[in-house]
Amino acid sequence: MEPTFRDGDWLLVRRLRRPPRPGEVVVAADPREPERLLVKRVRSVAPDGVTIQGDHADPAESTDSRQFGPIPRSAIVGRPVLRYAPLDRIGRVR
Amino acid sequence: MLEALLRPRRVVHAHCDLPCGIYDPSQARVEAESVMAIQTRYQGAEKFKTAGESVEDYRIRALAIKEARADLVKEHLWVLWTDYFKPEHLEKYPKLHDTFWKAAKLCSKNKQSVDAKAAADLQAAVKEIADIFWATKK
Repeated sequence: MEPTFRDGDWLLVRRLRRPPRPGEVVVAADPREPERLLVKRVRSVAPDGVTIQGDHADPAESTDSRQFGPIPRSAIVGRPVLRYAPLDRIGRVR
Repeated sequence: MLEALLRPRRVVHAHCDLPCGIYDPSQARVEAESVMAIQTRYQGAEKFKTAGESVEDYRIRALAIKEARADLVKEHLWVLWTDYFKPEHLEKYPKLHDTFWKAAKLCSKNKQSVDAKAAADLQAAVKEIADIFWATKK
């Protein structure tokens, strides 16, 4: 998810109770390994599921809906709202 | 204390899968150097062996290490070949598959023989791959 996130960023994640919106960042269960959580950006929301994709310019750097397809809406657990560490990167997540 | 309190409880993943994206042909190079050194030491066993072991024992040890190191070269090359290199690299370097195939064959040849020439050929093949690798990084 570079440049939005870097390895080791600390995020405050709020539960998402409304449907996800395209363009926002979400935390979702990895469809291939549900215990593992992913953080990706929503690209589209359709009846058959939500397409999520990493921000990195190089597709090889992200595993997302381009590999595993759309994910069910129920897989989305929350939305990072704040990056609170490291200190020089504190800010709202957009 | 405060840090423990603030530390997130869950890890979320944003990167690619387990493949870490760290590739470096130096791993293959170092193991190929080992193969070369062992070939030389096998030939000069009288000179290299320790006082307590026979030439025969020293050579058996050398063969075992040579076998293992040649396997490691193969493994590191395999990772570069199947994980790092992409179709667009092949387009630019049409000899890529052939170069890997020859290098892998040379790993086997180093297992089968006690010929330093085979080790030198392997080092050259690994270098050829490293040159392509670094060219793709430019």
